[in-house]
Amino acid sequence: MRQVYLVCFITLLLGASMPALVSFAEDASARLLVPEHVQRVLKHRCMNCHEGENAEGDVRLDKIAELKLDARLDLLNRAQDQIFFQTMPPADAPQPATDERSMLADWLQSGLRKHNASNLDKKLRYPDFGNYVDHETLFSGQIKDKPFTPARRWLVSPQIFHELVNDIFMLTGQSRQRSFYGVTNPFVLPDHSGVRDYDNTALDGGHLLVMLNNAEWISQKQIFSAVHADKDRRTLEFSNPQDRWYPPISPPAFVTIVSQKSRPTNQEMIAAIHAQSECVLKRKASVEELDRYLPLLQSSIELGGNTEGLRQMLVSVLLESEFLYRQEFGAGEPDAYGRKKLSPVEAAQAIAYALGDPGPDEELQQAAFDGRLIAKDDYRREVQRLLANETHFNGPVDPGISGKNMQSHVSTHPKLVRFFREFFGYTGALKVFKDVTRSDGYYQNPARGTAGTPGFLVKEADRVVDWYLQRDEDVFRNLLTTEDFFVYHNKDNETGQKIIAEWKEAYARLKDTDWKTDPERVIAENLEFIQSKKSLNILGGKQKREFLRHMYFFGETIGKGRTPFTTVSFAHGYTYNHSPFYNLPPTPNPFRYGDVEQKNFKGLDDTEFWDYPVEQPFRITNRKGLLTHPAWLIAHSGNFQTDPIRRGRWIREKLLAGRVPDVPITVDAQVPDDPHKTFRERVESVTSKAECWKCHQHMNPLGLPFEVFDDFGRYRLEEPLESPENLISRTKTKYGSDTYRTRSVSTLGELLGTEDSDLDGVVTDPFDLIDRLSQSERVRQSIIRHAFRFFMGRNEMLSDSQTLIDADEAYTENGGSFKAVVVSLLSSDSFMYRKDVN
Amino acid sequence: MISNRREFLTQSILGAGALSLSSAKLFADSSVSKPPTRFIFIHKGNGLPPHSLVPPSFSEEQMEAEKRKDSFAVDLDDHDLPEWMSPIAGHKNNLTILQGLSGKMCTTGHHTWCSSLGVFKANERLSSIKWATVDFELAQMFPSPFGHIEFACFPAGGGNSRGNINGIEKGFSARGPQQPNYAFGSPKVAMQELFKSVATDQQAQSQYQLQRKVLEFVATREAGLAERLTGTERPKVANYADAVQDIRKRNARVEAMGDVLRQHLPELNGKYLADDISTVDRQVGFTEVLLSTLISGMTNVVTFTVDELGTNYTGLPGIEGENVNQHDVGHGKPVRNFEATEVRKKIRHQHMTVIDTIVSRLKSVPEAGGTMFDNTMLFYFPDNGETHHSNGSEWPFLVLAGDNTRLDIGRRYIRLPGYGKPGHKTLGNWYTTILNAYGNPINHYGSLDVGLNIDQAGPIERFSA
Repeated sequence: MRQVYLVCFITLLLGASMPALVSFAEDASARLLVPEHVQRVLKHRCMNCHEGENAEGDVRLDKIAELKLDARLDLLNRAQDQIFFQTMPPADAPQPATDERSMLADWLQSGLRKHNASNLDKKLRYPDFGNYVDHETLFSGQIKDKPFTPARRWLVSPQIFHELVNDIFMLTGQSRQRSFYGVTNPFVLPDHSGVRDYDNTALDGGHLLVMLNNAEWISQKQIFSAVHADKDRRTLEFSNPQDRWYPPISPPAFVTIVSQKSRPTNQEMIAAIHAQSECVLKRKASVEELDRYLPLLQSSIELGGNTEGLRQMLVSVLLESEFLYRQEFGAGEPDAYGRKKLSPVEAAQAIAYALGDPGPDEELQQAAFDGRLIAKDDYRREVQRLLANETHFNGPVDPGISGKNMQSHVSTHPKLVRFFREFFGYTGALKVFKDVTRSDGYYQNPARGTAGTPGFLVKEADRVVDWYLQRDEDVFRNLLTTEDFFVYHNKDNETGQKIIAEWKEAYARLKDTDWKTDPERVIAENLEFIQSKKSLNILGGKQKREFLRHMYFFGETIGKGRTPFTTVSFAHGYTYNHSPFYNLPPTPNPFRYGDVEQKNFKGLDDTEFWDYPVEQPFRITNRKGLLTHPAWLIAHSGNFQTDPIRRGRWIREKLLAGRVPDVPITVDAQVPDDPHKTFRERVESVTSKAECWKCHQHMNPLGLPFEVFDDFGRYRLEEPLESPENLISRTKTKYGSDTYRTRSVSTLGELLGTEDSDLDGVVTDPFDLIDRLSQSERVRQSIIRHAFRFFMGRNEMLSDSQTLIDADEAYTENGGSFKAVVVSLLSSDSFMYRKDVN
Repeated sequence: MISNRREFLTQSILGAGALSLSSAKLFADSSVSKPPTRFIFIHKGNGLPPHSLVPPSFSEEQMEAEKRKDSFAVDLDDHDLPEWMSPIAGHKNNLTILQGLSGKMCTTGHHTWCSSLGVFKANERLSSIKWATVDFELAQMFPSPFGHIEFACFPAGGGNSRGNINGIEKGFSARGPQQPNYAFGSPKVAMQELFKSVATDQQAQSQYQLQRKVLEFVATREAGLAERLTGTERPKVANYADAVQDIRKRNARVEAMGDVLRQHLPELNGKYLADDISTVDRQVGFTEVLLSTLISGMTNVVTFTVDELGTNYTGLPGIEGENVNQHDVGHGKPVRNFEATEVRKKIRHQHMTVIDTIVSRLKSVPEAGGTMFDNTMLFYFPDNGETHHSNGSEWPFLVLAGDNTRLDIGRRYIRLPGYGKPGHKTLGNWYTTILNAYGNPINHYGSLDVGLNIDQAGPIERFSA
């Protein structure tokens, strides 16, 4: 039925005597030119439905002349969407030929762009619309346009913002701070899977409010440092005793002003303005800026005195929008295609921020200063050098997941790891709250000071990514198919082996003593031995209890031929209990050995604990690559259920460069309850209807094979039907799971869309699907496309075709090196050239 | 109080299905210029145990219903209030004790940040802020020269990120997604910032003029830059320039109220403006500033954190010299000779004294043929639910509302169906009810409780006036 198309395509009723120019009385400048060839298409393809009183959706061309400009632009925008996304004419109506469609699209686009009013242009700049650039055309080699990036401001990332604050205080080396008491990071990247840091975000009122507070605090610290330069900090008084940090050095120009009683000279004030500009904007103030700032500083000092007047100037520079945007405009004369190369300073920043959070290192700055950052080879040289540098960018992948009991994984190049964590979107696990009892009490939701179980899982996924990045061979395939994972592994292999060796030696020596009945004596007799083993943290205030705990712990691990985890479960702050999410046996919980020295201690139950692999990564059965990592599976699940649709959509969009329209607003996307059916069956019952299948065919067959993993990421062949009528028994433990009747899980699916007949087809399970995906050229290219978005901060355009082809070739010609991709992208025309498209 | 409501409420206990609470619409359809509605949100830390709100004069039958968490409503006229509520006994006609709401979709436990006002799981990170908290939604609906204002007796650590209890710090409200609000941490800083345009102290005046100058400078600079830009680059600077301009406009609006502000300047002696101030004096000082901002018309919505779990309590009547650690109290530790439950009562009693001051003062200010309180709703509630280590199974509220309120809940003890029972209601339902009643048509405000298998979206229909 036509009526279901609520958003209707505008039909322009241009009759037989249709004029080529429709004019609008209220705005002569807003004339709508309709060339004859467009008129023909409109009449032939659109008028049947959109004409007269009964026009579909009440959209009538015969009224268009009466529309005001805003209303007309609104309709044209809607029309443009319908044509571009091919949702009009409806599928059951005759379709326009390709050239007719592009004729209409071109006409609509030029009409809207004339008023800078094309919503589609704006939309296509957002991450969700990246795949609307045709994949085949991009990699066809037929596009000969010269690549460029529009001249732009790109909001700094949260991590870069933090580094910039360090720079304001001129902190170097060890003095750089991990956090600042009075600074709130105003930037938060979106949560969704996929590249998130794009150049289309604008500063807003929220950012300003946070920055006003930040600027107050930063300027106060700058002034404090200037006022107390060279003073012994032990003699200083702090207005807030909890906030005693201040920068160790201050620009001499500030010290000069605050330390004199008389009014500063113009020269002294100009020096201070330059100093603040260099601290904040990393450049001297321009003549024009001096003309504005000097009167401000003069009048502020007149009103508030030297110190407070200076502080107000510092605040006003801190509130420059330029501070919060990376500026990339290009410099020099444009080339024949209207493109300008990044200036050497812009290039140095662009390269540094593409590879990490800190700004350019000294060598890069020097290269820019010496004019050695101009040609492609210059870019390549510097990028390769920085990729080989293991210290400059070294840092945590995500300080945000660090908490009291766990710290983020540290990498030599955290930003490269961040590309893959954003691409795979496994950090989404941190946002899915789970019912703990359904996990048998093993899952801990994120809470204050801890990222909980998903925090550990995300970190372990980060480690897998970094492991393969460091090896830099066949990176995409390895990440998609690896069977080797890190679990727990809080000590390197060598340290872990040393600990286990000591523990085994200790257990062998002490197991046959009277350690249970006379622990004090056993300790005394073996004191020297215990003291010699660093890993035996027994001696001290409660050594009897600690000794017993160790021995019981060793007894049910080493004593049963298993290797224990290299941290004892009764260690302070111990929170490792997530091995079951990899289908690995549990490890002892922190309370297991709590009562071992009590008289009424009844011994331990016979739980079988995990035989911990000290050397990692290690092989885990029924896992293949990051799509089977619990972090990814949880991220792409709901609170109580798996989410095969979202899992499938991820594969369609991220690996197959495909498109799935958003859920229409008329659809109430609910999976029906049915206590007798598996979740798959319930999903299929509601998505197999023709009108639903149109979209779901692109997702379900890819996501449903993953039903072999539950919403906690656990492998299963049977699905519990969690409904009261299927209850078999209630749990007997406080946080345990109830037991329900189960049904077998179906893992069948279908891969379509690789454009490779050897790969497309029915798949037996997710492992079969993953194997095929990992061999696909399209999948490889799709990952390259996302890498492009990550490093360029924008969607690719057709004109970026050569850049993408080069990056793809760099990957294949270098044995699947991701670093080769990075070097290729960061020395491409897309990266080096800017063009003013505004 | 109108009579039909009173008559209706003569029933002592109503079943869940009978709780219709209908009555005539109370909102004054005044033909003269309509005064704004004002909202005051006062929240406390360490939980608010539901049993502490139960009138001691309840019959055995009522007590049993209460224990069973059955749904019922009772006219408060027939009952005594718990002793700790004695300061507000004179306002019983305006009082509602609302029990039975749940908030498991919030962060619970010790600290909850924006959870109780935003109905989402929040922590100290900006990324956890999902949307504007309910007080900000209401402030948008009832605009005022300054907009929303927040005061907080900050905790010394834990509940806020910095532990600076005298500054302007991230508060417990949120302006929008990932946008924290900033709260005034002391009466002194609140006075300085809110009334700086009419400050008589020369240093404060020059400070104000300096800030004014800088904002003007920044606004001109950024607007000038934006003017030179076109296309997609323009909004990147123009938005920012507009935001600076908005703050200047807000300041100008407040500045234009100079004469009115001078009339309503808070009368606070030096004790309340000191940096080293007891918790109780801090509350008293804030109360005066809060009243001045409302009575002068500077704002229509204020949020007041009277304490948080991490607030070290000093100056409590009867134990003035003690520095009461609320966490210890939460774990049952006595203070001097007072059991923890007694200390809790003292703290709540102090809160009621604050509320009595607010309500009485607003009742004394004439407005549109009545008083300012006629157009005011005050909510008192815990920031973390039912107890010290809460899980959100209950979220009790005291509501004090003037005669023009658009909710039909007044002068009643209302217990809604218990958690998970048919008809059970959540914090989200409650805020949706308020927002809907005052003109925001939102279908449901707040996150849903993923563990609740009932239809939980929408307002509490029975509260519609």
